Amino acid sequence: MRLWHITPSGWAGLIFAALAFFLFPALAGNLWLSVFISTGCFTIAVAGVSFMYARLGMVSLTQVGLMGLGGWVMLRLNHAYGLPFEVNLILAALVTMVCGWIMALPAMRMRGLYLALVTLMAAGGLEILFATYQFPNGGDGFWGVKTGSAAPFTRPALATTPEAYLRYVVVIALLCFLLIEAHRRMKPGRAWAMIRRSEAAAMAAGVNVTFYKTWAFGIAGLLAGVAGGLLAGSLGLLDDATFRASESVLIFALAVVGGARYWYGALIAATLYRILPALLNNWGVDADLSFVIFGAGLLHAVITAPDGIAGQIAGALKARKAAKGRAS
Amino acid sequence: MKQTKTLAVLAALPFAFAASQAMAAPSCGANTGQAASGDPIIVGGIHGNAAPGDFSAATDAAAAYFACVNANGGINGRPIDYRVENDQWNPELAAQAAAKLVNDTKSVALVGNGSFIEMAVNAGTYKDADIMVMASACAISECFETPNIVSTNQGPLPSNLGAVMYAREELGATNVACIGLNIPNNGIWSCEASINYMKSHGGDGSMALLNPGAPDVNSALLEAVSSGADTILINQPAGLALAILKAAEEQDLRDAFNWIAPTPLYDLSVPDAVGEYWHGHIYVNAELAPFQVNGPDAQNWIAVMDAHARPEDPRDTFAQAGYLSAKFFTETLMEMDPADVDDRAKVSDAIRAIKGKTSDLMCGPYYVGDADFHMPNHAGYMVKIVEGGYEIVRECYEYEAAYFDPHHAIEKEMGLK
Repeated sequence: MRLWHITPSGWAGLIFAALAFFLFPALAGNLWLSVFISTGCFTIAVAGVSFMYARLGMVSLTQVGLMGLGGWVMLRLNHAYGLPFEVNLILAALVTMVCGWIMALPAMRMRGLYLALVTLMAAGGLEILFATYQFPNGGDGFWGVKTGSAAPFTRPALATTPEAYLRYVVVIALLCFLLIEAHRRMKPGRAWAMIRRSEAAAMAAGVNVTFYKTWAFGIAGLLAGVAGGLLAGSLGLLDDATFRASESVLIFALAVVGGARYWYGALIAATLYRILPALLNNWGVDADLSFVIFGAGLLHAVITAPDGIAGQIAGALKARKAAKGRAS
Repeated sequence: MKQTKTLAVLAALPFAFAASQAMAAPSCGANTGQAASGDPIIVGGIHGNAAPGDFSAATDAAAAYFACVNANGGINGRPIDYRVENDQWNPELAAQAAAKLVNDTKSVALVGNGSFIEMAVNAGTYKDADIMVMASACAISECFETPNIVSTNQGPLPSNLGAVMYAREELGATNVACIGLNIPNNGIWSCEASINYMKSHGGDGSMALLNPGAPDVNSALLEAVSSGADTILINQPAGLALAILKAAEEQDLRDAFNWIAPTPLYDLSVPDAVGEYWHGHIYVNAELAPFQVNGPDAQNWIAVMDAHARPEDPRDTFAQAGYLSAKFFTETLMEMDPADVDDRAKVSDAIRAIKGKTSDLMCGPYYVGDADFHMPNHAGYMVKIVEGGYEIVRECYEYEAAYFDPHHAIEKEMGLK
């Protein structure tokens, strides 16, 4: 596939990004701006975990933990050096990417369930680290935690209002999706496709399996770091409860429900994860009901829709197009 | 003669009963007995109700008081539309709650807030929107160290100090182990102040911290026990405090230490919950007046709760604090020009102008002022858990610590000292 060719799905993504950029901030009240910003951050994180699952069949149950790591670095850099937000975000993403690589190296010997378990243990380890040492709040030393009130967080100069910050998140989410798509269309994408079919065949064809699998972990880590950094920027502080290992499991399950092969699958997953509970809250219904809905969605995906809700939408569109073609 | 006296007493009983009924009727706002029917004045409130603690008692009590105000003429005929959100101990939800109540809704103020999370996330939002928060169940430093939040409760730092001060002076404590939550602006902040107090008086102290997400009470208790302390300060929400006491009872540690706690253990359900083993052995700091003080405001609080709250709503210190915040807020609105009560900036100014309000529920005057920090309540009672309730062991007393120097200076400036 040519690098710059825009598919119909790509056009849909670009149009949706344009709508999200122009329309959502103009129409949404502050409550929904806040919800959409969170949703945007988690869309990026889900995109990372979906991409690993769809392209390589690898299950990572540590994505939210890595997101917390990105948020930790973001807060630490913000309070320590006063660098521009963008520099902190890039550094947070790179540090998380390197951590993704480091985590991937021992995990590379594992496959399937065992790989998932190793990543889950990593998420558990991160959860304990966050709960024990807490997130930086402007203190000194390596951990950057001080007693009492947190120091103020500096948002990007371009996005000091919630409306502008939502636009900022939309642009970065778009860049993240383009990064994944560019990888898919270039050499790593071809290598991943071969690895997914057969590691032995890929190796026989000269593909460096360890390198490309590690690279994929790095990309997922990078996306998690960006997502965590943006979430930290949105709230100005983070809490360990957001990054529990159980959240990583949940987000992977939702990636399956949403549809890991499609960009809008990640969006559907993040919508279920953040917008659905907010809607329930807003209607005065206990947001824990969303877990029941997630469970039903997962059953639905496992039994009838292996490509998730996004796959069903794509299937329905394809069927409609085929019916139109036959009619004409 | 004796028979005549008995008859007189019997004859007086219906009148006494009627009088007690009259006393039990709540007094709120304009106290007209007429329901308010004008355009509502929107007031918000945020609490945190999720594991590991329920901090909704204050908003429940504030809601009861506002319901009572609305049933008694409202604010110059206008009812208060009190809208409460739950942050569920989640920073994202806390930000969303404030966005909804402060930015999307024209709330003139927030009243009765109680949380471990929301004040840290939203202090900047409140400042930017110039909205005042008359909180009631504050537990973190941002509640007391930011310009737009003022609370009727004391929070863990003063309440811990009060308990530690009593333990040093009356129980002979020389080394205090504080079991707090591993939250920098809550457990660590408040335990550290108690340790510093002990050290400044030639004693010593340490802290054992619990992860609020997965609290292991046995580990924290053992850490406290092994610290060499003679006094254990249980700086926890009531549920976790009870779990720690249960673990200590299983190890029969009661007589090896002095047991002290800040105000979350002052709740009428606690004496039964801790059981006979602990009766007479746990000393609790009460940030507001214990129930037996029973002054006019205390009686009115109970009457308001009985008439307008749900039976299951707690009758504890935080509920008292919620009642007081709502009462002071209502009085402030009623003193304003009726044309200004929808104007958030003017309501904020009126709240900042609050000075020297008194109540038998509080040891000192309530004030706000125009400062970057607020902590009007820094004196309290000390009580002991006994069978069926609490026994006052020390009446109103001021807590000693350098932390309060700026507050004393402001009180002096305002003529309150």
